[in-house]
Amino acid sequence: MSDRVGGWLDERTGWRLVWDGVFLRQVPKVNWAYTLGSATLIVVVNQIITGILLTIYYVPSVQDAYATVDFISHDLTAGWLIRGMHHWGASAMVLLVGLHMVRVIYHGAYKFPREITWLSGVGLLVLTLAFGFTGYLLPWDQKAYWATVVGTRMLEVTPLIGDWALRVARGGDDLSAVTLSRFYGIHVWVLPAILLLLVGLHLYLVVRNGISAPPKKGE
Amino acid sequence: MREQDRRDYLEKYQEDKKRGIPFFPNALFKDAIVSLLVFVALVVLSAVIGAELGDQANPSDDSFTPRPEWYFLWLFQLLKFFPGNLEFVGVIILPGAILLILAALPWLDRSRTRNIRGRPIVLGFVVFLFLGVLGLTVQALLAAEPPLEAAGGDPVALLYTENCSGCHGTSIAVPAGVNLGDVISQGGHEGMPAWSGDLSSDEIDALVGFVLSPNGSAVFQDSCSGCHQAVGLAATQPLTLRAALQPGSEFEPHAGLDLPSLDESSATALVNFLIAPDGHRLFVLNCAACHGNSAQFAGTRNELLAIIEKGGGHLTMPAMGGVLPDADIAALAAYVVAPDTAPASSAALFEADCAVCHGTRVPVAESVEAATEIIVKGGSHQTMPVWGDVLTAEQLDALTDYAYEASQGSPAVLGKTLFEQHCTVCHGEFGEGGASPVDPSFTIGPISTEQYLVTRDYITIRAIITQGQPDSGMSPFGLAFGGPLDADEVGAIVAYIRSWQDNPPVELPPAVERAPLLVDVADIYAGFCAQCHGADGEGGIGPSFQSPEWQAIHSDSQLFETIDLGHPATAMIGWGDILTDEQISGLVELIRSLQGGPGTPGPVAEVSFSGDVLPIFQSKCLACHGASGGWSAESYQSVMASGNSGPAVIPGDAENSLLGQWLLGTGTGGFMPPSGSLPTTEVDAILAWIRQGAPDN
Repeated sequence: MSDRVGGWLDERTGWRLVWDGVFLRQVPKVNWAYTLGSATLIVVVNQIITGILLTIYYVPSVQDAYATVDFISHDLTAGWLIRGMHHWGASAMVLLVGLHMVRVIYHGAYKFPREITWLSGVGLLVLTLAFGFTGYLLPWDQKAYWATVVGTRMLEVTPLIGDWALRVARGGDDLSAVTLSRFYGIHVWVLPAILLLLVGLHLYLVVRNGISAPPKKGE
Repeated sequence: MREQDRRDYLEKYQEDKKRGIPFFPNALFKDAIVSLLVFVALVVLSAVIGAELGDQANPSDDSFTPRPEWYFLWLFQLLKFFPGNLEFVGVIILPGAILLILAALPWLDRSRTRNIRGRPIVLGFVVFLFLGVLGLTVQALLAAEPPLEAAGGDPVALLYTENCSGCHGTSIAVPAGVNLGDVISQGGHEGMPAWSGDLSSDEIDALVGFVLSPNGSAVFQDSCSGCHQAVGLAATQPLTLRAALQPGSEFEPHAGLDLPSLDESSATALVNFLIAPDGHRLFVLNCAACHGNSAQFAGTRNELLAIIEKGGGHLTMPAMGGVLPDADIAALAAYVVAPDTAPASSAALFEADCAVCHGTRVPVAESVEAATEIIVKGGSHQTMPVWGDVLTAEQLDALTDYAYEASQGSPAVLGKTLFEQHCTVCHGEFGEGGASPVDPSFTIGPISTEQYLVTRDYITIRAIITQGQPDSGMSPFGLAFGGPLDADEVGAIVAYIRSWQDNPPVELPPAVERAPLLVDVADIYAGFCAQCHGADGEGGIGPSFQSPEWQAIHSDSQLFETIDLGHPATAMIGWGDILTDEQISGLVELIRSLQGGPGTPGPVAEVSFSGDVLPIFQSKCLACHGASGGWSAESYQSVMASGNSGPAVIPGDAENSLLGQWLLGTGTGGFMPPSGSLPTTEVDAILAWIRQGAPDN
């Protein structure tokens, strides 16, 4: 029965090709350290889902940002869980991305033929930090506000374009409502778009080139 | 990697794969377990710790010590090693280099070796990076607590570490001429708190000394800290201090002690540390005893510097004997010896005859006889110390800057004048507030109490003045918000208000009962509307009520609404919460009566095109609107007939004529001329001419 349904679907979608290529592919014997990448992916999915849920209630304006986060945290059903998972997910992302990277370096897995996989991974590291920085401001509490004041001020020391970079980041000379909507837009639209592209490339390359085997002594 | 190596690797990999396992379910099973663990960890963390939400962001409360999220802490800590101009190394260059090395890793490490034992450089780099980031993070986390080891050492350095180094790193470069004491106590720029609430003035003085002369702090630590507490010693008189530091001096309290001798540069650093080159403080310490709160001086800065540096009998007191009646001299002598018990008339005499040089400070005299002799004979009776021997070069410069600026009229002095002009009508002469002049039921709170001033920093007060408080009837005063004051003037008012802090003129609770209430419409107009619209409605910041054009295009209900609700994007705030409807209606009536200005009522005289209108066109419009296309202002015919958007003039209807709309800025196109509106009289003449039917007269 399931074979017949599967066959019927395969004729129309070719799903078996993907299934065989992705899931039934043969991989070298690996150890537990090789699970860090997929763990990171799960946290990415967690961030996307909880992030989408948060945007349903969150309002990125100076008047409402704090009140809506407060509402999510204290009044909304399971809001504490959604925000908590997103908050801790951010830290988990940084931690897992870092460990994943150390694993890859340790096994020399960035070498031929996986250079582009590595490069997209470095891009994802930068992206993760950018997510962290822009997301930190959104609750609009004191910690968020002043950390971002100091964080954006660092841009000012860039030679030649420092003042300009600061104004671009803040949308003016001071941290304001413009900064909040700017960070929100970047955090919710720009970065996720780039993230999906890079994660897609990263996964495609992982499947195409296969996961590296742990190098033996002398290899 | 060579071609052969690559082929070898791929072959070997194929073998590994053959001897391996299928991804599903074997490898995926491990993945699923770890992912599940991560997921559970997230849920547990959310449930047990949760996501913290602090107090709402408050840009005016900058006492908050900012700390980034944990994964940026190492970067935050790294910055502290790159103070001042080197900051960009820590912010841009180092992180950028790390990122670049990471990205380029496959091309930097091109060997065929994959096992970590064969790649010591890469291993070294990763371990170094990991330990570096870990170490910096731990350091930053520990720095959150006051460093224990500094507690037993240099207390001023500890003050600095606790309060300043978090943002400023190990040292601060202070530009010349900056009053650091003010910056620290009042907060300087974004993110920099006003410390006056948290630190005593002695502590702030000590910090100023530390920032300006960190070497001095070290010298103090080595040579003096055995007996002296820096914070207490920082308030010493400079003359005493110099005497104590003079090589080989017989300074009494140091007698019998085996003191380390200091070389010249160490001594200078020490003096700069103990009495920082802060002009205001130096003036208070060195000059105020004789000169009072400010010295009068009419020369240049260099002349002033020379006087301070060289000291001596630079001023000769004229002999007053024969100039003043004997009775006056006797009264003055008595006053000088005992100012508190002398009759009030002698204080007035002192004010009239002596204050021009002596300021507010009464000179000290031992006896009435001695005082009388000095007053009668005059001369260099009091010698100014040679400050060049006492003060360091930095201190001399700072003192001269301060004294010179003060003699030119300090910000606080200018601020007092401005405050009287703009603020006293509502806030009272001393900021005591009281019932609102327009709405007796609304009380304006005092702004000069200690509580008010301590809880509001410079930036907040400046923002209130600049942007106004529309909800309580205060219109914006900043130029950028349509008010009359530029940033310096607002700053001067803040400085004046701030000067109350040391000695608040108002104690809580305030005396609320105050003067007669302005309920008369004419008084309301004179008190409030006239500030912007002129006493006779002649206009100013706001439009002129005398203009017949302005009167014609606004209906009574529009006027009422504007007064009631205000006008967005201008300094006109809504008065509806403050004035009653009757008062607003009364104001509308009053505004109507202002048309044409005082004493010139009646119909407007007929306007002539050739006599009144064409000359305006020729002087103001023709440069562009001549032969170069579009509408032409050359002659009556071209004015009426030319134009890309149809006729510019609809005879009899000034408001709907394109020309009228351009001049008033009411159309979709914007304003003409682009450099700014024509004078009201010229606009009025043109509009009146159109309203007459645009005749060719």
